[in-house]
Amino acid sequence: MTEFSIHKVWIIAKREYFERVRTRSFLLSTFATPVLMGAFLILPALISASMARGIVRDSERPARVVIACDNRALAELASGELMRQRGTRYEPSVVSPASPAEHEQLDKHLDAGDIEGYVWLDGPARASRHVVFTTGRMGDFILERRLGDALSYAFAADRMVEQGSSSGDVAATLQPVDLTAVRAGKSSSAYNAVRGAAVVLILMFVMLFSLLSYGVMVMRSVMEEKSSRITEVLLCAASAQELMTGKILGTGSVGLTQIAAWLAMAAFGASRSLYLRTTMTVLEVGPSLIVYFVVFYILGYLLYSAIFAAVGAIFNSIDEAQQWNFVIILPLIAASGLILPVATSSDSPVSVAVSLFPFCSPILMFERLAVHDPPRWQLALSLLLLVATIGAVMFISGRIYRIGILMYGKRPTIRELSRWLRHA
Amino acid sequence: MGAGVTPAEGSVKPTAGFTYNEAVASTVELIRVRKSYGGFTAVDDLSFEIPPARIFGLLGPNGAGKTSTIRMMIGITAPDSGCVRLFGEPLRRRAMRRVGYLPEERGLYRRMTVGDNLVFLGRLAGLSVATSRERIDAWARRLEIADWVDRRVEELSKGMQQKIQFIAALLHDPELIVMDEPFAGLDPVNTMQLKDVLVGLRTAGKSILFSTHRMDQVEKLCDSICLIDRGKSVLQGSLSEIKAGNGRRYVQIDYEGDGGCLAGNPLIDSLNDYGNHAEIRLKSDADPQELLRTAMRGLRVIRFQVMDPSLEQIFIDLIAGRDD
Repeated sequence: MTEFSIHKVWIIAKREYFERVRTRSFLLSTFATPVLMGAFLILPALISASMARGIVRDSERPARVVIACDNRALAELASGELMRQRGTRYEPSVVSPASPAEHEQLDKHLDAGDIEGYVWLDGPARASRHVVFTTGRMGDFILERRLGDALSYAFAADRMVEQGSSSGDVAATLQPVDLTAVRAGKSSSAYNAVRGAAVVLILMFVMLFSLLSYGVMVMRSVMEEKSSRITEVLLCAASAQELMTGKILGTGSVGLTQIAAWLAMAAFGASRSLYLRTTMTVLEVGPSLIVYFVVFYILGYLLYSAIFAAVGAIFNSIDEAQQWNFVIILPLIAASGLILPVATSSDSPVSVAVSLFPFCSPILMFERLAVHDPPRWQLALSLLLLVATIGAVMFISGRIYRIGILMYGKRPTIRELSRWLRHA
Repeated sequence: MGAGVTPAEGSVKPTAGFTYNEAVASTVELIRVRKSYGGFTAVDDLSFEIPPARIFGLLGPNGAGKTSTIRMMIGITAPDSGCVRLFGEPLRRRAMRRVGYLPEERGLYRRMTVGDNLVFLGRLAGLSVATSRERIDAWARRLEIADWVDRRVEELSKGMQQKIQFIAALLHDPELIVMDEPFAGLDPVNTMQLKDVLVGLRTAGKSILFSTHRMDQVEKLCDSICLIDRGKSVLQGSLSEIKAGNGRRYVQIDYEGDGGCLAGNPLIDSLNDYGNHAEIRLKSDADPQELLRTAMRGLRVIRFQVMDPSLEQIFIDLIAGRDD
């Protein structure tokens, strides 16, 4: 009874595959996820960019800011700096000298909504560098930051002018630094760490999400066949091994199809949009990263789907399986919590250890590969451990599956499970 | 037998004594099969044979071990001891291509269409897609469900699903057909339809095993039976022999007068008196003619009939006897 027919596995996998690919939920998640994820990433960027440009103000008019100061030169330096800042639409004006009457006048303008706010730079404020910006609307942090930058610049420039520097000197001295991080060991192309982390995060989110959802899909599918007694009909024609293998391969192919669709969409986007293309080149989302992703996805899926298949065979309903599901996905939850620590210190002993641990390595070793080149032996060892664990888990799950799919009613105790393992 | 069960009247042939056609290998042979789950013995030292071109009834109350027996017969589970032979050879997975199985509950994918379900099962049983489609069409026409082939299973009534399941079991033209409660949930018209199909299959040389707790349903259909209770065989053999062995003992009398005179009659083993109708089981050596003479002395007998016992009656008597 130990004949194993690839042909039957193929038939079973094919059914599983087409049954799932044809569903509306598959199409929806395949096409809606990138859109949602794009919206999730792009919207905040769009909003902050348009805020910086003043687009999201009540009206299209630029923000009018008054700088009131007894030292007209200082005020004008600040005003000029504020106007020069890139992508802003501010309209600063200077009031000098700053008299109590002007103060009242400014409050009236503020009440009437003629101005966005004013900076009151009297003697004590200049001495302490503690400046108050009175505004009708709190929370425009971009304006506040820009204003602060402009005032800091003005104080420094004013002091330099007082000490006899030329305006050219001032500009040259106070020119801000433009910092660019470059990834070591790779081509010297510029590497934007923030965006790089974002792409790695997206890839790992996709990996986590897919491992979980397709693992659970295997579990549900096993339960469905068990509760509708299809299993009995199938077992007459195919062995439990063939069934489980076909089911895992078929469902896994659905996951791969979805990921392939997403990659294709990204590639299509890159071919159409210069922005996407340059982003991907800059981020080094090269073929090797994609290959690593697919390899770790497949291995991670095999590991988790085998466990989920066994859980599906043990229990009769999703509700019953709930608490065990939590135990199973615990390593994945832990791995997602370790994503940031591993990103910041990818070669620390803890990072190395967790990226070798087979239940976390699909996520964390992939992450280390993405952010930094780990030593080859670590990659090899993590793959070896992962494959060995998959073998062991498949063996145990296969035994549980074989017996579990024919057991109805009461769910088994741990002791009964161990008996299944021994007698299967 | 070997299990120490002593069925009534020597009406049972020991397993080794089946003589239908010894030249041809039996389709199924169970030899001293035992299966237990944990501490519970589901099947206990069970032996029987199903010859080719026969309908065999595996009967017994719920929980008697029928499904466990079937599962071992079709290789879903392995016996703890004993052996199962199909088509004259020890059970191999390859032999499953020659077996059609209808499980007790519906085993179809609810969201798939009837046609896709059947093609899938046909392919697993080794048919090509084209052959599967051809046969599905033929069966669908024969069972009058051609309009339903493109519908999803979940849209079908229970009886309709049972018909689909029936086709699924027969699609690959198996030599052995195993059916667990095949008529459950079917109306009389559909029951007749499927019964006709099965009789036709037997004529075509197929062996059919029925498993059911509804003994009345298979009584007219089976050539031979095995009655099991608590995993053990309590009675087996050809139906005619069993009935003959237990026959001439059941009598019905319609009468006028005082039925009290029947009570205490030394010929009667048990009596069920309805006032002007009595159902009687005679003692094993009693002669019905003798009872008639006695009855006519005290009563005005309107009808006196010696009955063939129903399987159910035989079973109840056996089980009652065993418990004593």
